[in-house]
Amino acid sequence: MIKAVMMMNTQGKPRLAKFYDYTPVEKQQELIRGVFSVLCSRPENVSNFLEIDSLFGPDSRLVYKHYATLYFVLVFDGSENELAMLDLIQVLVETLDKCFSNVCELDIVFNYSKMHAVLDEIVFGGQVLETSSAEVMKAVEEISKLEAASNSISLVPKSVSGWRGR
Amino acid sequence: MTGMRGLSVFISDIRNCQNKEAERLRVDKELGNIRTCFKNEKVLTPYKKKKYVWKMLYIHMLGYDVDFGHMEAVSLISAPKYPEKQVGYIVTSCLLNENNDFLKLAINTVRNDIIGRNETFQCLALTLVGNIGGRDFSESLAPDVQKLLISSSCRPLVRKKAALCLLRLFRKNPDAVNVDGWADRMAQLLDERDIGVLTSSTSLLVALVSNNHEAYSSCLPKCVKILERLSRNQDVPQEYTYYGIPSPWLQVKAMRALQYFPTIEDPSTRKALFEVLQRILMGTDVVKNVNKNNASHAVLFEALSLVMHLDAEKEMMSQCVALLGKFISVREPNIRYLGLENMTRMLMITDVQDIIKKHQSQIITSLKDPDISIRRRALDLLYGMCDVSNAKDIVEELLQYLSTAEFSMREELSLKAAILAEKFAPDLSWYVDVILQLIDKAGDFVSDDIWFRVVQFVTNNEDLQPYAASKAREYLDKIAIHETMVKVSAYILGEYGHLLARQPGCSASELFNILHEKLPTVSTPTIPILLSTYAKLLMHTQPPDPELQKKIWAVFKKYESCIDVEIQQRAVEYFELSKKGAAFMDVLAEMPKFPERQSSLIKKAEDVEDTADQSAIKLRAQQQPSNALVLAEPQPVNGAPSPLKVPIVSGSTQDPDSVARSLSQPNGTIGNIDPQIPSPDLLSDLLGPLAIEAAPEAVSTDQHGPIGAEGVPEEVDGSAIVPVEEQTNSTELIGNIAERFHALCLKDSGVLYEDSHVQIGIKAEWRGHHGRLVLFMGNKNTSPLTSVQALILPPAHLKLDLSPVPDTIPPRAQVQSPLEVMNIRPSRDVAVLDFSYKFGTNMVNAKLRIPATLNKFLQPLQLTSEEFFPQWRALSGPPLKLQEVVRGVRPLALPEMANLFNSFHVTVCPGLDPNPNNLVASTTFYSESTGAMLCLARIETDPADRTQLRMTVGSGDPSLTFELKEFIKEQLITIPMGSRAIVPAAGSGPAQPVAQPPSPATLADDPGALLAGLL
Repeated sequence: MIKAVMMMNTQGKPRLAKFYDYTPVEKQQELIRGVFSVLCSRPENVSNFLEIDSLFGPDSRLVYKHYATLYFVLVFDGSENELAMLDLIQVLVETLDKCFSNVCELDIVFNYSKMHAVLDEIVFGGQVLETSSAEVMKAVEEISKLEAASNSISLVPKSVSGWRGR
Repeated sequence: MTGMRGLSVFISDIRNCQNKEAERLRVDKELGNIRTCFKNEKVLTPYKKKKYVWKMLYIHMLGYDVDFGHMEAVSLISAPKYPEKQVGYIVTSCLLNENNDFLKLAINTVRNDIIGRNETFQCLALTLVGNIGGRDFSESLAPDVQKLLISSSCRPLVRKKAALCLLRLFRKNPDAVNVDGWADRMAQLLDERDIGVLTSSTSLLVALVSNNHEAYSSCLPKCVKILERLSRNQDVPQEYTYYGIPSPWLQVKAMRALQYFPTIEDPSTRKALFEVLQRILMGTDVVKNVNKNNASHAVLFEALSLVMHLDAEKEMMSQCVALLGKFISVREPNIRYLGLENMTRMLMITDVQDIIKKHQSQIITSLKDPDISIRRRALDLLYGMCDVSNAKDIVEELLQYLSTAEFSMREELSLKAAILAEKFAPDLSWYVDVILQLIDKAGDFVSDDIWFRVVQFVTNNEDLQPYAASKAREYLDKIAIHETMVKVSAYILGEYGHLLARQPGCSASELFNILHEKLPTVSTPTIPILLSTYAKLLMHTQPPDPELQKKIWAVFKKYESCIDVEIQQRAVEYFELSKKGAAFMDVLAEMPKFPERQSSLIKKAEDVEDTADQSAIKLRAQQQPSNALVLAEPQPVNGAPSPLKVPIVSGSTQDPDSVARSLSQPNGTIGNIDPQIPSPDLLSDLLGPLAIEAAPEAVSTDQHGPIGAEGVPEEVDGSAIVPVEEQTNSTELIGNIAERFHALCLKDSGVLYEDSHVQIGIKAEWRGHHGRLVLFMGNKNTSPLTSVQALILPPAHLKLDLSPVPDTIPPRAQVQSPLEVMNIRPSRDVAVLDFSYKFGTNMVNAKLRIPATLNKFLQPLQLTSEEFFPQWRALSGPPLKLQEVVRGVRPLALPEMANLFNSFHVTVCPGLDPNPNNLVASTTFYSESTGAMLCLARIETDPADRTQLRMTVGSGDPSLTFELKEFIKEQLITIPMGSRAIVPAAGSGPAQPVAQPPSPATLADDPGALLAGLL
């Protein structure tokens, strides 16, 4: 099971964090900081694995990938295959790349809600939901359309309710 | 989702904050704003609600508590329109946990969305339940979610979410999902064409089979089918082909599911699977594209684990080891890492160890890898693969690495080096070298246990003392040495420095000078050790050296007023004592040998690694017999070393006045002190700092190496106890209990029992009539085993004491339970362990024989003819000496039979019997009633008919003779009953062409007499 998905920049600022076991907010921050402090000291061209039993307890594993100014991190337990998890990060990044055409950190910062939508189509309750970025894109676009449709509708009631409010 | 301007503005504001304080202010302001808006619901449009909710989530991610709006969030779920509903679901699943009371209020709404027709709503609801659904959800929603999953009218998008949602519900309450007929449905689901649905369903299957593989056995061939489909790339759409590989995730999951089935029985399924595995093993190359590499190796490593799990043919196994050997030297760091990790895992399979050893130099190279993750894996592997043959190389590499290793690894590294050095030292002086180097290089990371242990070894081994002393002296020449080094060298030189007296620079006064130089640099706890050393140096100077005496007295005088009570007391006492001449010599005589104790290092290592179930230490503990160093001859701890040795060097618990009083008695012989001071306490006090955890000795009394399976007699013992299977329809026994027991009769560690949920390993040490066994009970599941009970049903002749076993074994955890055994009198009966546990609702019970058999209380003993024959003649005949002709013997060549005897510690003494067809053997038996008792045996075989022989057994105790004879017989014959024809020895009966010595002229009643006559 996947325990957490994190994205943070190379300064350690979290950009997205999702924990699949309930984790209080202070604990989340502590874990993010802990992971970052190990990540930032790693040189280039080393493996993508980290031993983090001290942070997440026994039998937990961590894989990460470093893209430009961002770290993508997955934490999971022994029931998952390490390299398959690494591939999943790649799927996530490729999907984001398609969403934002050449994704950069700013896209991720300012499209916070879309990030969640993408992630929710890939990882579901700590399990791999979808591995085809084409399928993920389809699902995300469907949601966008629905929202766009309801947004345009909501403009009317908004003004109406505004009127009535007065 | 796009263009939420308010959110973007807020994020920019946060980004523009110069410091944490400014950020906090901005966040507080926003939270206040949101709070006000939520209160004034009338003006809150769905758009605004959504915007605020995303802001709340963003704030939450930044690390601020958002403790309001929960109720509002939950109530939004029931909104009829999509945007509000969406916001409600998202925020609820992010901010609430499964125990939140508000959540329970929403169950009905969520259910309505799931059973409704709107697929978008279904997805939202499933996502919420899949992320935070608790037990309540499980009970009320499982059937509906199951319906969605198998519905043919639902889109894959919904069904794959339903599969994972069901997985969550299963984790919360297995019974809600494991309903009648579901296993068949699961099997049908695996025929699914859509890869997305199939991936989710396989994840669900993994969870289901890990809990109860029997119920889902019909899914096994389906998994193999999926693998066949993918490996042939049949019907795999382009979007599921990842860098040319048909969905690596699905391949991995399907192989993972197969690893929860104990074996694959159906030959055609097995064959099909092995074909797939073979193709994966052979067809994967390291390529340039990193992503392709990762994906193909994800599949490959999963295939490797599956092969290891299936315990495949030897050929395939060695293919795997060869692959791993390749991996650990490739450029790609991820593959190196996993190669090392899997090799460590592979150490569990015993007969690959030698092949792994071939890669030792490469593994050592990995210890210098730039990546700490890889270095740790290499360290684990080296630690796991170390044995007597390579200990020297490995430990020396570890020592070398110690000087460059990062601080975070040094403690583990030095502990591991110390343990390996202790366990596998080819000679003790090497052990001393290693530990001193360890202290020298990484003193800060060497715990006290480590230097206590080296002192114990030196004290208990006289041969080692001069060597250790000269080594300690060498280190003192270094300019800056670690305080631990000061302690250990001071202690050793105090005790054994006089052995060096003739060497240059090692006279008592020179030793004093060099040690005293260190005194200003050390901390308070070290000073008492130095004072004792000074006193010992002084005592060893014969005739007294007035110069040295003056210097040392000056030191004692100086510390007489020290504020530290321990230092002060020692100074006062030593000063007074050193004036007493002969009494002084007695008091400061050499320290007695230490009782053997379990190395606390090894214990500590086990504790440290207790949690990590893959830890090499644990693997080693279970897999390998301890080859630990044998301490000096077990010293009969008489518990009463002359009381005079003890009282003065007392610890701080001692009332100083009492000593002072006794010392000040005018004619007070030292002996007077005795009654006032309870010496045992003092002894323990004195040993206190050196005593290492009082747990009994782990050092084995050399039970000979493990004996290969060939040596196990195929004994068909009717009393083999089988687990009560009727009750355990979900528990599958792994391996044969009787076989495991017989193997353990001849070796001291191994697996006693294994089923699909639990594995019980055993490790034993025997000394005289005492034994110490440790039961390792490991839970193999991801859920706990409850109502665990282990009861011992002892036979009359054994006293057994089992430490309590915890009621619950947590998932994937192992508990250890020591079992003390004492042998009271000779008997072949065995103790039985009544073990039971509850898994889910099933009660499993197994009655297991404990391998505390007669032969465990035998000590090998080889006799010469001068020793043997007088004893043999002294045993005149029944009941002390019994003879029997045994038929139906398993045909064994003589050397094999000799091996068999040696394997149960009845030592064959070659050359004693002039007839090459006969064996003469001896052993010592230990029990409380007989004490140590010599046993002798003679076997006369008939080269013409290997199925019969004549056996004569003798000892000083009639019951021992009988039991040992019966025991040996059991080992020799295939079928215990049937041929129990006990024919009196002499050749009276016609049916006795048996084991007659070839020379008829010397036929005699007593083969002993016969033997003696011949010699």
